[in-house]
Amino acid sequence: MDRRAARETGPALAPSERHPAQSRSGSLVRIAALWEAAFVALASLRANKLRTALTLIGIVVGVAAVIAVVTIIQGLDNKVATTFSSQGSTVFTISKRPQIIRSREDFVKFNKRKDVTHEDAEAIARLCTSCWRVGVAANVIQTAKHGDQKFENVRVRGVTPQTMFDIDGVTIEAGRIWTDAEGTSGRPICVVGSDVLTNLFGGASADRVIGEEISIGGRPHQILGVLEPLGSIFGASRDSVVYIPYTTYQKAYGARDSIVVFIQVPTADELEAAEDQVRTIMRNRRGRVFNEDEDPGFALETQDVFLDLYGKATSNIKYVTVGVAAISLLVGGIVVMNIMLVSVTERTREIGIRKAMGARRKDILTQFLIEAVAVTALGGFIGVFTGFGLAYGISALIGFPLLINLWSAAGGVGVSSLVGIISGMWPAWRAAKLDPIEALRSE
Amino acid sequence: MSDVTLASLSAEGIQARAANGHGGPDTTSLIAMRDIWKTYEMGSEKVHALHGVSFEVRKGEYIAITGPSGSGKSTLMNLIGCLDTPSNGEYWLNGKNVSLMDDDELARIRNQEVGFVFQTFNLLARATALHNVELPLIYGGIGSAKRHQMAREALAAVDLADRVTHRPNELSGGQRQRVAIARALVNHPSILLADEPTGALDTHTSGEIMDLFERLHEEGNTVVLVTHEPDIAARAHRIISIRDGQIEKDQVIR
Repeated sequence: MDRRAARETGPALAPSERHPAQSRSGSLVRIAALWEAAFVALASLRANKLRTALTLIGIVVGVAAVIAVVTIIQGLDNKVATTFSSQGSTVFTISKRPQIIRSREDFVKFNKRKDVTHEDAEAIARLCTSCWRVGVAANVIQTAKHGDQKFENVRVRGVTPQTMFDIDGVTIEAGRIWTDAEGTSGRPICVVGSDVLTNLFGGASADRVIGEEISIGGRPHQILGVLEPLGSIFGASRDSVVYIPYTTYQKAYGARDSIVVFIQVPTADELEAAEDQVRTIMRNRRGRVFNEDEDPGFALETQDVFLDLYGKATSNIKYVTVGVAAISLLVGGIVVMNIMLVSVTERTREIGIRKAMGARRKDILTQFLIEAVAVTALGGFIGVFTGFGLAYGISALIGFPLLINLWSAAGGVGVSSLVGIISGMWPAWRAAKLDPIEALRSE
Repeated sequence: MSDVTLASLSAEGIQARAANGHGGPDTTSLIAMRDIWKTYEMGSEKVHALHGVSFEVRKGEYIAITGPSGSGKSTLMNLIGCLDTPSNGEYWLNGKNVSLMDDDELARIRNQEVGFVFQTFNLLARATALHNVELPLIYGGIGSAKRHQMAREALAAVDLADRVTHRPNELSGGQRQRVAIARALVNHPSILLADEPTGALDTHTSGEIMDLFERLHEEGNTVVLVTHEPDIAARAHRIISIRDGQIEKDQVIR
């Protein structure tokens, strides 16, 4: 535009008219200034990429740790709940020693008890009216072989009667369970879990292996049936098992060790009544009267023992993780505060310019708060994804389904944003109350 | 494109606003300073940067405030620009008593009434020319479409229509100062307050910038120039000389 022309046409930038759009009401001012604040904050983060990345680390670690642990534990919880509910709260056991022994003294005490025998199991089956299914099981770890294939650490489970399969919650996929006559005959027959097929028969289909012979602990056993796979828990397969009749088990491994009696009731409501009856029967058989202080001479347990132990272990893990996360968020927050103070110092002159142009305290405050929150929220975001990634990796290793919880994701970003507000507040306030004259003078 | 605004922004606007004064002491005065004192406490000692300064500036005047360094002219400039408030005395700007305002009210006045031009330009280094010019509009709460339009017009008025997307480091000193002037003018302030606007420029560019100020004055703007250079001050129509915190001379030269 020609300058002379402008002079002739009239005043180009007269000091008078203010545009009607210019609002004295706060809301428009806030929106325009807020956009500017966000724009400047993000531009500043982009301009200092390395610094931003370093600032993020504390927040990322804290959030990722919590997200990973919470996600993994939720996955495990779900897995444990579905696994134990198949058998779960309708089954209890009578054994010489409880499954979890907490002290050496207890171990000695339990060992002095009389063995739980087949006769005990028969007495329970005969006398307990509330009991639905009663079975006996004993376990031994052996090596199974077929041809040149070898499968170590197979759980050989001697059971009787056949209802023990129902109590264990396993079903036949192919073939059959032994008959009563076969069961008492002591013949070397077996029903195998699906891992046996994978390891000894190269993953052959279930019906192809019926009638085949495998060696267990050096003794040949004929396969009568194959079980439906159950899957694994905590990385341990539940399918690396071979069921044999208890008589066969006794012949091979003797009767020297105590057995475990399994009792199942139709519904969880009847559990207590059945437990009371079984307790009375067992006390009678051990020649004991009711006395809380005296050792009853046997252990009566439900699956709740495992669930309690599991619950305690995971809640401890949760607390520890929350503690670690809190510390790393605290450290992350201090780092953010430090960086924000540096940022305010570096940009003192910019703050002066903005104030001279009419930025109010709260405009400057908002600008730096947004910058702090943008850093920590970004950290939280990355942390959430890292956490889910970790959980995914670990779940793939252990083998349980992953439950992605959107609330924990929102919580991760939310908490880290809060850290941003808290740690950004003081630096932002320092920026906001800078004297414009001093600020403009700074280099 | 700026011709549209050229026609719409006329001298009548100035008169209308002057008549609408908010009860200031003199409706024709844009700036009225009454016995202004500025005192700093340096430890136990009190230093009077200004003592008893009084003067008035009418709309459309072109004045220069001069004085040696340490005379108090910077303090006076900060007061005129509402960056600071006096320790004593009254300062009326465009009918408003600025001497009683708090920080946020002063920010509002700076945004609406004052257009700053600094010796070192004070542009935001990372922002484009357009964004720099938009800055007062942002804090004035103007929507983005209107803001772009107003900022483009202001840049066109200082002959920088083809430099809107340039950043300060892509512009010459003279161009940077013109961006700063566009920024000062974009909000149509009551006064254009320039602090040594040619101090960082060579003689030729200085001349161009002074021509621009003269043109802006002719277009109806009130220009207050703070300088220690006599030949720059001589371009103004009235010179106020400050020495030892007081007005030494106040003369209309044309």
